[in-house]
Amino acid sequence: MSTKEDILVSENLSIGHGSKAIMDRINFRLTAGKILAVVGPSGCGKSTLMRALSGLDEPLAGKSMLMGVDLALADQALREATLRRLGFLFQGAALFSSLTLRENVEMPMREFLRAPKREIRQLAEYKLALVGLADAMEKLPSEISGGMMKRAGIARAMALDPEIIFLDEPSAGLDPVTSGRIDELILKLRESFGTTIVLVSHEVPSILRTADFCVYLDPDTGTMSAYAPPRDFLRPDFTPKAHAFFTQACLT
Amino acid sequence: MSQTSKSTSWARTEVLADGTALVTLGGVWSLHEELPDIIVKGDKVRVRAEDLGGFDSSLPSWLYGNFKNIRHIDLAALPPRLQALVQLAEKASVNESPSADINVLERFGNWGVDSSSSWSRAFDHIGNTALGFIRSVFGRAKVNWSDLPLQLQTAGVDALPIVALLGFLTGLIMAYVGLIQLRQLGATVYVANLVSLAMTREMGALMTGIIACGRTSTSFASQLGSMNLSQETDALRALGLNPIEYLAIPRIIAVTLMIPLLSLFATFIGVLGGMVVACAGDLSVEQYLTQVILAITFKSFLVGFIKSIAFGFIAAWAGCYRGSVAHRSALGVGEAATSAAVLGITLIVIADAIFAVLFNLFKF
Ligand SMILES: Nc1ncnc2c1ncn2[C@@H]1O[C@H](COP(=O)(O)OP(=O)(O)O)[C@@H](O)[C@H]1O
Ligand SMILES: [Mg+2]
Repeated sequence: MSTKEDILVSENLSIGHGSKAIMDRINFRLTAGKILAVVGPSGCGKSTLMRALSGLDEPLAGKSMLMGVDLALADQALREATLRRLGFLFQGAALFSSLTLRENVEMPMREFLRAPKREIRQLAEYKLALVGLADAMEKLPSEISGGMMKRAGIARAMALDPEIIFLDEPSAGLDPVTSGRIDELILKLRESFGTTIVLVSHEVPSILRTADFCVYLDPDTGTMSAYAPPRDFLRPDFTPKAHAFFTQACLT
Repeated sequence: MSQTSKSTSWARTEVLADGTALVTLGGVWSLHEELPDIIVKGDKVRVRAEDLGGFDSSLPSWLYGNFKNIRHIDLAALPPRLQALVQLAEKASVNESPSADINVLERFGNWGVDSSSSWSRAFDHIGNTALGFIRSVFGRAKVNWSDLPLQLQTAGVDALPIVALLGFLTGLIMAYVGLIQLRQLGATVYVANLVSLAMTREMGALMTGIIACGRTSTSFASQLGSMNLSQETDALRALGLNPIEYLAIPRIIAVTLMIPLLSLFATFIGVLGGMVVACAGDLSVEQYLTQVILAITFKSFLVGFIKSIAFGFIAAWAGCYRGSVAHRSALGVGEAATSAAVLGITLIVIADAIFAVLFNLFKF
């Protein structure tokens, strides 16, 4: 059994598409209010892991518990109720292409809050302003850059003040200044609302600044090779490949 | 407003001697509760908190929304974490140079879906659709009802011209073919019976169903297919929404409502088309209409009506089904549209045959 504070638990999790596992034996527990960074080479299964952890895909084996619920076993009502307590930024942002950015952020609120229209609009504008999109609210996803889509996706993931947010490469495609602001936003969310955040990132300085823990997925062994605070990755006596990944990124 | 109540949010304004508006707020602020209204005049505002309970993003959002246009805003008396959340939004409005796009076709090479499982998936989809209907009847499903008017418009009203044209031509062709035979028997007056009976029982519903496959099934398949491709359906699932319920049900309802109406319309136009041919030489308008009224019964209308409901449902379902199992690629979306039309037309013709047997069996 997980304790109440362990908002995310992965036990012997095995992930993949179809029947072939690309990563297995993934084990860790994350306390509520912590920030976890998932790192690893491109194509190693980070996005797949995020989808399995958030209950979007069923794990091939093992189990993952989110807020004390095993989503693979939960009935539909519990599943949906649990999913509403999480926010997800997809790697491709996955904005609703026929809705403006404001409508994209309003959509979850319209469905799940009983607030009046004006209030929902105000909330959506605020959340878009948090990610620096106050000037682009009435644009369609097709009219903005990839980095802006990412930020709108973050605003939508924050729409319902979720307890846990999954961010798949939130700062990919962003300039250093905006990316720094996203880091700041992530820290503020945690500080102010105690939000737990799981993110995929390739930017070591940003990981060092934000994350409490870091999990490294190693495609050669097909499993995670480290689960530790990001500072530890910089120690020369650390798991060599994970250490190399971190120091390489620092040099370039 | 009560200040002692801890359970709801409140705010009040007073104007200080130097013209500054002083806003005091407190209570518990939640996304799920109604927020207070305030009116603030002047360009200097000071905000302070009193008995402030918990808050979520509704409070910074309220502050940001109400005060973003005020020049001098003093939040120093608020808790630091609240100040930070408001200020983060204020300075956020920056312009960014367009950056490299992320590739949505990242997974273009993924063809790993086994087509042999396609039947089981079709039944799965039918089951899910049925379940979705039951759940929405009991108010348990989240359905995007705001989609419904648009779908009624595109599936119904926008189809009127093409339905009129094809209905008219169908009636015209039948009258033409009928006359060739009937002239030999000297029974040309019965061309009216032939056209009107065929239109009401058969051709009105069939033509409209086939038009729906061409227009609506394909459009649903490509809409849902491309939403699948861009992970929009995943985004719905991440919100605890069921894409079938949310997207397919309003579409299926819209089409199932509109096709019977369109079919009725096609029937009338078809009878009119037959009249043009019949009255060009052989019959008078009066003769034609008298025969039509004699030939059509309520029963034949009912037959056409029942069929058209079924055809509408089939056309809409085929589109939604093919769209939601489309391969995640541009090619996959195109194929979904094609196969939706083929599946829809095939199922409609099969259903029509089954109806013919059943109606015959029960002497309907
Ligand atoms: N929908 C899919 N179907 C089949 N294989 C997939 C799919 N998505 C990703 N993959 C494969 O799974 C592996 C991991 O992908 P992904 O989790 O996206 O990697 P990362 O996010 O770490 O870059 C890759 O080898 C990729 O080819
Ligand atoms: Mg990825």
